[in-house]
Amino acid sequence: MAKPKTQRKLIGADVVGHLEAIGTGIKYLFKPRMTLRYPEVFQDFGPNYRGMLKLYTDKCISCTMCARICPSNAIKMYKTDAKKYPGITYQRCIFCGFCVDICPVDALEMFGVHDIAYYGLEEQVLNPEGFSKGPPIEEKPKKVKPRLDAKRGLRYERT
Amino acid sequence: MVFVPLIFPGLLTVTIVIVVLIWFERKLTAKVQLRYGPLYVLKPLGGALQMVADLIKFTFAELIVPKGSDKKAFILAPILLFTLSLLPVIAIPVSSKYAAFFSDLSLLIVLSLLTLTPIFVLLLGWASDNKFSFIGSLREGFMMMAYEIPMFISILAMAVTYDSLDLKHIVETQSSSLWGLILNPLAAIAFFGAMLMTTARYPFDITEAESEIVIGPYTEYSSVIFGLCLGASYVKLYVLSLFFAEVFLGGWNPFGGLESLHPILPGVAVLAKGVIIMGLCVFMRSVYPRYRIDQALRLGWHKLLVLSIVSVVLSLGIVGLGVL
Amino acid sequence: MSEERTIELLIGPQHPGSGHMRLTAEVDGDLILKFEPNIGYVHRAVEKIAETKTYVQIIPLVERPALPDTANHNLGYVLALEKLLGIEAPPRAQYLRTLLAEINRIHSHLYGIGIHGIFLGSSTMFMWAFADREPFIELAQQLTGARMTYSYIIPGGVRRNLPQDFKVNALKALNYMERRLKDYDKIFVHNPVTVARLSGIGVIKKSDAAKIGIVGPNLRASGIPYDVRKIEPYCVYPDLDFDVVTREEGDSHARLLARIGEIEQSIKIIRQILDKIPEGPIFLESYLKLVSPKMRDEAEKTGIMKFPALFSALRVPKGEASSRVEGGRGEVFYYIISDGSPQPYRFRMVTPSFRNVIAFKYALRGHRLADIPAVYGSLDYFPPEADR
Repeated sequence: MAKPKTQRKLIGADVVGHLEAIGTGIKYLFKPRMTLRYPEVFQDFGPNYRGMLKLYTDKCISCTMCARICPSNAIKMYKTDAKKYPGITYQRCIFCGFCVDICPVDALEMFGVHDIAYYGLEEQVLNPEGFSKGPPIEEKPKKVKPRLDAKRGLRYERT
Repeated sequence: MVFVPLIFPGLLTVTIVIVVLIWFERKLTAKVQLRYGPLYVLKPLGGALQMVADLIKFTFAELIVPKGSDKKAFILAPILLFTLSLLPVIAIPVSSKYAAFFSDLSLLIVLSLLTLTPIFVLLLGWASDNKFSFIGSLREGFMMMAYEIPMFISILAMAVTYDSLDLKHIVETQSSSLWGLILNPLAAIAFFGAMLMTTARYPFDITEAESEIVIGPYTEYSSVIFGLCLGASYVKLYVLSLFFAEVFLGGWNPFGGLESLHPILPGVAVLAKGVIIMGLCVFMRSVYPRYRIDQALRLGWHKLLVLSIVSVVLSLGIVGLGVL
Repeated sequence: MSEERTIELLIGPQHPGSGHMRLTAEVDGDLILKFEPNIGYVHRAVEKIAETKTYVQIIPLVERPALPDTANHNLGYVLALEKLLGIEAPPRAQYLRTLLAEINRIHSHLYGIGIHGIFLGSSTMFMWAFADREPFIELAQQLTGARMTYSYIIPGGVRRNLPQDFKVNALKALNYMERRLKDYDKIFVHNPVTVARLSGIGVIKKSDAAKIGIVGPNLRASGIPYDVRKIEPYCVYPDLDFDVVTREEGDSHARLLARIGEIEQSIKIIRQILDKIPEGPIFLESYLKLVSPKMRDEAEKTGIMKFPALFSALRVPKGEASSRVEGGRGEVFYYIISDGSPQPYRFRMVTPSFRNVIAFKYALRGHRLADIPAVYGSLDYFPPEADR
């Protein structure tokens, strides 16, 4: 039991630290939660979220630029009679959006669909006909919009 | 005679309390961490049956015994650990007329039985053929060195204050004077610290330090015996909380009068107080990281030992001045 | 029969406290005698794959190794490419690039602090840090359209313009973060248990730090004020006012405090950027002229730029160029040798985690087994970034 005075000072600083930590823990027992209860509630990402694609066959001019710029070689051209149209495989698409940005006639459009489940790997390879159908857009029952908030960080609001 | 060890506060109560306690720990920690915790098992109640689902999973999982392990010790050690952790409940009286057996030394019986549990944890770690389990069980042995002496000395302070080693007598004395917590708060703090160390609650979660030694001595365990291993430390927490409630928080006072209705009703007050203490111990999980083993040893020998010796001096002063 | 006193522990890939790498430790009781990191578990040959792809296709490739910190890697590569092409992005685009880089720095540091917390046992710090990344990921998503791998910075500028209500949202997120940093202080950074666990552990002295060549907040916590944003400024950093966070002690607690200080500096930088950002184009005029007039008008209206057809097979003049940026974990270095064809001849990428691996051998001498996660978390080592 040497040097009781310095020990008491050390005990004092430590005790304050412990009490502050426990006090902060108790303070947060009364704050609202920040969780999004997916998949009962879906997040509405906004208009420009990058997701799955749709091809507008009537606009496409077969320039093959989308196939050339795709970083992961997900787009492949399919030859039908005279014209070539792109098909996509979602096994490789990384949703970067380069193909949409480079298409000179706006024949590709991105929808905000990002969570589709397939039963087999073959279903993810789409020829131009499947590509032109676009992603299945389901009306989700409970959509919430994230709103930034100075007190709570992120708050989810029903739309 | 049979009711206490088996039903209340014995095996059945322990099962119900632990099922609710672990769920409560996870929900409380989750609320501090801004999330939900277990949610889906019984949705309207907020996942209350999660631990029941976990117990059912443990029962039906495959029991894997590693090839190089010592098979008898591997399977017997958790069973003995759980039983020994639960055994002290027979010496704790739940009201002045109801206990499994009354004895003059019930305080010593409870504490002495609890000091034998680390031996089985050592056996657990040795029996699995794994270096990480070995290190974890050695850490449990070291922790025992840290907390045992302050625990006994702070309880010695309380025994000196109340002039008896019988839990029933201690609680009856507290009905006429102040509670132990107010008479000798230093002993309460020292005992609380030692209680956190022995039941491996944060910040003394050192035996099961997951980021260093992969859950320590319990690494190779699966199915029922794993449930027994993890349950054993919660059972020790339960027993020590009842003990704390009786020595420091007045036991079954002020509900002693309910004895006339049925001898077991004051025990509900003891259980309620024990549950509050358990909730406090469990809350520490959301606030603290974990200590290193040599820092915990230093804490036990420098701070807790000094605190408990000062509490003995305080008790002698209280008895000498006749405050009681 | 010889008596073995020391145990050799393989804290391998299948361990809760090791990440995607193996750490071999030889332990005598509790003291570490030898310690070796063994990297390469997630090597994916990024540099070799880059030789088969065209220059614009390498942009998503370069982002993927360092997932918490994608914008800075993207920025470094595009700066090297622009040096080869001999072009410079317009001023508004440079401000937008810096904005994304600083938002990314905040949530990369939060990732590192969270992992440090869970290695020490504080699951509260882990959950809070990862929850607080969410407002910043949401801000980045409003700006770029993706949550983590943005691919936002392209040679010549950026892809999208600032949305209308971005400034209001960003200020709300920054105010929130400043308030949360005070709570982090009380529950983790100055918690007596954390201070006991981290002070004096894993000390890298000033002379050692310069000799072994570590980078990033690890270097600055050992007392050397080296930050690429001040030494060799790029984008708009010369016009911004911020401090280089330096600490003297060089132990794990100093590294944690250096990261928290950098979050505060990034908040200051983002506020200045949002005040000072000029109006103007966000993509190089000479590239935008190559797009058809109808597409150009649409790009001006929606704010989403169209690539010229040139990008699908960008031919870069012969030569070599290098660039350095300050990523979340330290200095990232890019070196491209081009021989006139659409693919690079040689692409070299040195990541900060690769430079920090050597710190494991120096920082853990004479320490105990329980210090391994404390030092690992404080170095903020990200194995996929080191292995590329």
